[in-house]
Amino acid sequence: MIPVFLKNTTKRLEQGLCPYILILVHMVLGTALVYISPRSNLAFLVLITSFFSLYSFKADRRFKLAAGMVLTLLIFPVVGVRNIFYLEVIFQISVFSALALGLNIVVGFAGLLDLGYVAFYAVGAYLWAFFGSQQFYILHFAPGTQPSHLPFLLPGDAFYLFVFVAILVAALTGILLGTPVLRLRGDYLAIVTLGFGEVIRVLANNLDKPLNFTNGPQGITPIQQPTMPQVAVDGFNALFGRVVGHTVSPADMYNVMFYLFALAVIIIIIFVTRRLDDSKIGRAWTAIREDETAAIAMGVPLVRMKLAAFAVGASFAGVMGVLLAGSRTFISPESFSFMQSIGVLSMVILGGSGSIPGVILGAATVTILNLQVLQGLSLYLSQLRQTDAVIPIINFAWANLSSQLDPAKYQRLLFGLILILMMIFRPAGLIPSQRRKREPASDEAEAKEYHGTP
Amino acid sequence: MKRFLKSINIRELLRPIGQMILFSLGSTIVLSVIVLLLALILDRTVVGQTLIERLNVSLFTYTLVNLPQVAIDGLTIGFVYAAIALGYTMVYGVLEFINFAHSEIFAVGAFVGVEILIALEKFGILSNASLVMAYIYLILAIVAGMLAAGALAVTVERVAYRPLRHASRLVPLISAIGVSFLLQDVIRLTESLTSGQFNRIMPTFGNFDHRILFGKMAMGATQITLGVSIKSIIVIVSAVLMLVGLNYLVNATRIGKAIRAVAQDHSTASLMGIDVNRIISLTFLVGGMLGGAAGVLYALKFTRIDPFVGFFPGLKAFTAAVLGGIGNMTGALLGGIVLGMLETYAGSFMGVFTMGAAGTEYKDIFAFSILILVLIFRPQGLMGENVAQKA
Amino acid sequence: MALLETVDVVKRFGGLTAVNKVNFKLDQGRIVSIIGPNGAGKTTFFNCLTGIYHPDEGQIIFNGRPLHRLRPDQIASHGLSRTFQNIRLFGNMSVIENILVGMHVHLRQSPLSTLFHLPSFKKEEKEAELKAEELMTYVGLKGVGNELAKNLPYGGQRRLEIARALAADPLMLLLDEPAAGMNPQETEEVTRLFRRIRDQKGITILLIEHDMRVVMNISELICVMDYGEKIAEGTPDEIRADTRVIEAYLGRGAVAGQHEKKVA
Ligand SMILES: Nc1ncnc2c1ncn2[C@@H]1O[C@H](COP(=O)(O)OP(=O)(O)OP(=O)(O)O)[C@@H](O)[C@H]1O
Ligand SMILES: [Mg+2]
Repeated sequence: MIPVFLKNTTKRLEQGLCPYILILVHMVLGTALVYISPRSNLAFLVLITSFFSLYSFKADRRFKLAAGMVLTLLIFPVVGVRNIFYLEVIFQISVFSALALGLNIVVGFAGLLDLGYVAFYAVGAYLWAFFGSQQFYILHFAPGTQPSHLPFLLPGDAFYLFVFVAILVAALTGILLGTPVLRLRGDYLAIVTLGFGEVIRVLANNLDKPLNFTNGPQGITPIQQPTMPQVAVDGFNALFGRVVGHTVSPADMYNVMFYLFALAVIIIIIFVTRRLDDSKIGRAWTAIREDETAAIAMGVPLVRMKLAAFAVGASFAGVMGVLLAGSRTFISPESFSFMQSIGVLSMVILGGSGSIPGVILGAATVTILNLQVLQGLSLYLSQLRQTDAVIPIINFAWANLSSQLDPAKYQRLLFGLILILMMIFRPAGLIPSQRRKREPASDEAEAKEYHGTP
Repeated sequence: MKRFLKSINIRELLRPIGQMILFSLGSTIVLSVIVLLLALILDRTVVGQTLIERLNVSLFTYTLVNLPQVAIDGLTIGFVYAAIALGYTMVYGVLEFINFAHSEIFAVGAFVGVEILIALEKFGILSNASLVMAYIYLILAIVAGMLAAGALAVTVERVAYRPLRHASRLVPLISAIGVSFLLQDVIRLTESLTSGQFNRIMPTFGNFDHRILFGKMAMGATQITLGVSIKSIIVIVSAVLMLVGLNYLVNATRIGKAIRAVAQDHSTASLMGIDVNRIISLTFLVGGMLGGAAGVLYALKFTRIDPFVGFFPGLKAFTAAVLGGIGNMTGALLGGIVLGMLETYAGSFMGVFTMGAAGTEYKDIFAFSILILVLIFRPQGLMGENVAQKA
Repeated sequence: MALLETVDVVKRFGGLTAVNKVNFKLDQGRIVSIIGPNGAGKTTFFNCLTGIYHPDEGQIIFNGRPLHRLRPDQIASHGLSRTFQNIRLFGNMSVIENILVGMHVHLRQSPLSTLFHLPSFKKEEKEAELKAEELMTYVGLKGVGNELAKNLPYGGQRRLEIARALAADPLMLLLDEPAAGMNPQETEEVTRLFRRIRDQKGITILLIEHDMRVVMNISELICVMDYGEKIAEGTPDEIRADTRVIEAYLGRGAVAGQHEKKVA
């Protein structure tokens, strides 16, 4: 009874102008809520989820594209500049979406479980961190002993060049690491990639001697930010100054710029993966994922195709690494732990490996859970600790709660639960991937006849 | 009684002991010779001269003096690795599946054992205990760790792996990674809520920290004492006992036969009337118990544990299992010993040999290099058979 | 000159010699069958030919080239295509994509043309799709291009495997029990298909088959294996009369009829 009712309702919602109105209402509602109460997490969630209605309702492609652009290029930056915490969340979602989409090429398309994906992220980050900082002049000093005023090796303009250098370097690293191990069976490969991830992290931690390349556990800082034309700041102020309510500083503008940058990378990744997926490379990847033996017997060169997946995935991580180094102006080995790799993996698995919208949804969900729910809980707990509230039945005073208990640090629990539950209940993810339907190249009508009504 | 004694298969009891002695002596001798040769060569270079300037000993003497201690340390950790590696190998043998969460099973064993001892200490029982009682308490802690870890391993299999048994290979592996992460934080959460902190220290009691001394040796201005700590001996002896027991269980009992049958072929085994699910649970139980005991022994040896304590030993034990030939129990023993020795030798001497450029800090990735090399050049491991993949 | 020649090929698994000193010659344009009881080593022999196993001893020469130590994909690109005894399709790919994977070695698409959909890419993809559809029609799978391979009925999956193997434009087709589990009518149809493949496309066919009606019907030459060894070779009439062959089958109580039941 109820399912029928639901079905009827959804059907009605998909007719005529209905979806358009719903999408617009969601967007406007989200924007208005955030505008009225800039500190509310709930309002922000409403805004973010308007992406979801944009994706799920049936509407004209051009309309969706336009609405998506308004949302990402206009509303998000303005809202983000008004409340910098939102911008941080949006930025992190974008960064992790990009990383997850990159990993998705390796895991989702080629079916190679890469547990050390952040190694390539680290390669990109350390690449710019080394060349875009004073590190070159610190080479011969032990960490913390260098004279105070050293020049930066490269100017901020070089950042843009290094985005492309990182593609090459990370891809090369991927090929270098992949060549010896990609013929291994899937589960061994997983452990070996984990090993590589750890090797890179340990190297980052310890290559402060004999020559100080990485500054060890302290990490490298300051790192050059890319140069940004003053016009951008002035322009933004002129256009949106009134809506924002305060003058936008270059620092804010940097945040917007890095967000847009991440967005651009996402769009490029989507473009590249879609194009590759529809070519012989993508088909070879899927074939390898489905059945390696059959694929190789059909003439698919296994190792070369796997290397390609590894290299493409790695290069995107490399770019994001450069972006991370530039935006944070500080990096340390901490950011490239095994947990980070699993975090990105859990995004892919949650959303649906091989599915682009799924992976983005996964990245957004995990990031929001991470940044808003877990941290929100932490905040709430620490507030409770200040009060003299008591848990009723067991008579436990919140003030006595161990300060070690900080939900924000329980990401492993989150990742672990996601991985287990998804594997058991929904291994294809929230939005499972779908193979593209092809228009028959020869005779359309005949095929339709065969299917009955299409 | 007589019949019982008769039914014991002496050969199966003695065989693993022989193997252990062989593997231990073999790897000690080989590695010591290599290290000494290296020392002799490096003595002529700047490395040797710096050492003479600093400590007034030749590199060769330095190496020679340190060797016994390093060998014992290597052997201790090697046996711990072997005990964990057996858990990986047994599960791999029956399910062809890497139980990634085994490292946390190990950690849970360690925590349960240590918490019991801490509780005993709190009540003042440990400090007043006689030597005999101290050993009894230690055994109690080990047994508790084993039971907890064994029960946990069985539960994990039931909840997170069994529903996925017919899925593609990577699915249960991902689930196992999830379990591993989940357990780390569950340990942390439990410890934070109950004891307020999650780094736990093994209490000192009994005579475990004493050292049996061989002698003293002057090295520059400092004196070096040579000896074995009692806890190393305890670790080695307990590990040996467990391994002998396990070997007996698998090779000389009906249950062992069933395990081996399931490892060969599930469907045939079940046609023979073996309850495959029960045998798989049993495998997890045995592997988990070994891991739990290894956890308590590890805590005894290294004193400090935290919720992430399982990660590196787990990975290294997995490496050991692969090195020995995954699925092969003697291989796991060999792999554990060899890896523990290699790692300790490298960790102890690399620093001096490279004049501090690279030392102990690379110990952890040393195992990975071995893993990768083995997988590339001899994926079937030292003792595994070369079986082609099925097409 | 023979298209395929094997000299003393041996493959062992531990103590078991699955293929034992098999010498075999196959001329261009023939249809030849390999028969033999279960576990005779037929599939293992195929796996040696296609590089999935490396023979422990002996030589395989295909089209004048030794295949020694070549990878399966290299062998496939030399014109040796196969199907599998236990159907190995790419289940979650569509029918047409399965066939397109078979064309992998012939597609030239460079990364650049792929990314920017240059005319060369579009043209090649279009042609490939057309060819795939042709092949679908050819094997009798017209109109199911967008269906997932795993959703095809059993007979359809067998046909798809053949279409996928044909997509590589092979010189020679290795079919491992292609009629297993089919009903008599389907069997009849695929038998005709094999003949068409040979007659129209000039592709040499080597097939393993337990169904004696198929074997006797289309083989020009039959090779019999037992315990890894080739025990007989000859025309269908010769094989029918060969006492060793009858022994090999009857002696083990394994007749063609029972096989069918087992496989189905
Ligand atoms: N990967 C392998 N590892 C070990 N033994 C194998 C392997 N592959 C095949 N064998 C063994 O080699 C022998 C030959 O097997 P093969 O599959 O070639 O037989 P077949 O003639 O194809 O039989 P069928 O008619 O049942 O398909 C069998 O005894 C089989 O058990
Ligand atoms: Mg066969």
